Amino acid sequence: MIETENLVKVFKEGKIRAVDGLTISIKKGEIYALIGANGSGKTTTVNMMTGALAPTAGRITVLGVEMPRQRHLVSARIGVAPQEYSLYTDLTLEQNAWFFARLYGMNSQDFRRRFSELNEILRLGGREHSLVSNLSGGMKRRASIECALLHEPDVVFFDEATVGIDPVLRAFLWDYFRTLRSSGLTILLTSHVMDEAGKADRIGLVRAGKLVDEGEPEALMSRHNVRSIEEVFLKLSGREVSDA
Amino acid sequence: MPKPGRFSLRRSAAVAGRVLAQIRRDRRTLGMLLVIPAIVMLIFGFALGGQVSNVPILVDNQDAGFSATVGTAGVSLHVGSQILASLQTNSAVSVTLGSYTAGKASVDSGAYFAAILIPSNFSQTVFMRAQGHNVTASLQVYIDGTKPSIAAGVLGALQDAVQNSSRIKGFSLVQQYANGGVKFSGLDVSLPSVTAFVLTFLVLLISLLTVSRETTSGTLPRLYTTPLTAIERLLGYTLSLLVVGMMMVVVVFVVGIGLFGAVVRGDLLLLFAAAVLYALSQVLLAVFLSNFARNEFQAVQLAPLIAFPSMALSGMLVPVSSLPAWIQPLCRLIPMYYANQLFEGIMLKGYGLGPLAFDFAIVVVMAVLFLVLAMSTVKDRIDA
Repeated sequence: MIETENLVKVFKEGKIRAVDGLTISIKKGEIYALIGANGSGKTTTVNMMTGALAPTAGRITVLGVEMPRQRHLVSARIGVAPQEYSLYTDLTLEQNAWFFARLYGMNSQDFRRRFSELNEILRLGGREHSLVSNLSGGMKRRASIECALLHEPDVVFFDEATVGIDPVLRAFLWDYFRTLRSSGLTILLTSHVMDEAGKADRIGLVRAGKLVDEGEPEALMSRHNVRSIEEVFLKLSGREVSDA
Repeated sequence: MPKPGRFSLRRSAAVAGRVLAQIRRDRRTLGMLLVIPAIVMLIFGFALGGQVSNVPILVDNQDAGFSATVGTAGVSLHVGSQILASLQTNSAVSVTLGSYTAGKASVDSGAYFAAILIPSNFSQTVFMRAQGHNVTASLQVYIDGTKPSIAAGVLGALQDAVQNSSRIKGFSLVQQYANGGVKFSGLDVSLPSVTAFVLTFLVLLISLLTVSRETTSGTLPRLYTTPLTAIERLLGYTLSLLVVGMMMVVVVFVVGIGLFGAVVRGDLLLLFAAAVLYALSQVLLAVFLSNFARNEFQAVQLAPLIAFPSMALSGMLVPVSSLPAWIQPLCRLIPMYYANQLFEGIMLKGYGLGPLAFDFAIVVVMAVLFLVLAMSTVKDRIDA
């Protein structure tokens, strides 16, 4: 479903090796959490997977299609909620949603149905006509998730998308993600919140652009003989302070 | 340490230092801050430093000359030839000889700025006037009234030529304004170029800001992940900004024509079409330029960088024909030059599509060129 092979990204400015030989394979209907400190290369990896950024070397396939070269073949089947809200703050929630729905080729009727459905799930009902600039941080985050899910994609990328959402709603969102997964949706999420990553089917730990370990949460904790994913992370990161 | 609640110059200095550090960090902006004033001053200095020169005029010298005997001395006058010779040595004008009737048509079409007829009895009339007869030697001048500074230059050159040739008194110029004989007010002759400038500056500014806002708002990387292609995005910007441009065109004409009563001798629809076409070319130029602006600050600086040289070199302040010869070819590369030609042609000269076909074609070519440049430089992924 999502595969990378020796993925490398070196940024022109500063010659920073943001991603360094990353190889990951994510199956259909899996929730995969890519975790790491700030600046470890998570967002860069997501940007390359979604076709927004060209890799320096290596290979990426999403839904069997090579990215970013053949992005146009699958872009309608993927959804992205970027780390930044990436919404038009001077438009209302509904105007934002309708804009993205049109880009994904939705008709008005399907949009109405999906928009109302997602507003219910994401607790955004009643704020349809609010300017995005007037929404709280958590609401903006949910609005961004909504725009990523409107067109019922096969793969979604959530880049730190649940950061800033209150714990009750986050738990609810995870239930919803599992429902989506059971209907075949593949989810790749990035996070630096370790307890959240523990809810994923599999976790990939990245450090300085490299995958340092990977596995199911229980398996990882058992392998490193610790009781939480946070401890796994701290053990693998050598308790270094992140560069954030 | 400054006390809270009391004015502190140190805190103001901290803000000033921070702003300057941000400007210093943005090298492109820093470069523009230094380069733009230099470019503007150089262009205005060169462009406005010249005088009216080489204005094309046509002279029809029909003066047959006059010979007479005064007392015992023979007198032979050829005042027409003297005036012609004087005009030919005057750098303000560039003289072509030809028929006055054809010359008038050429003035209407813009080939010459003025046509001058020296009548067949001019020398004779000058002689008779000198002998005390109550007659006036008249020259007929058919002149383009759309450029008062040039008209004044041509008439001045003619006055000098007459004075130098015969030192006559009682000489008159019979002036007739070209293009239907309308004598334009200062406002009339200014409005076509003011319209062109407003469309150049504001359409560019609004378009640059709108497009670059996508970059600064962080929405662009998200768009890269959707089925929206770079060309579709570019077309979307162009269509929306064209609507904005058309709204500006309507406002400019409603105020200019409705409120100030600007003269529109030609077809209003053709004028609107010309304005919209020009606005489109400026939108496409802005879409192209915005591909190089990393933030709104840089984008905003591009508008005056285009608009001020356009003001100096398009004929808005000084007619192109009176600019230094080496600058004139440069003027032909400036889109606003053609906008001036179109607006002036339709509003003041009453031209239809025929005489303006070339200028329309150039604006279309420029629009297509900007479109191609925009398409070939538009990004479809994060530039890193």
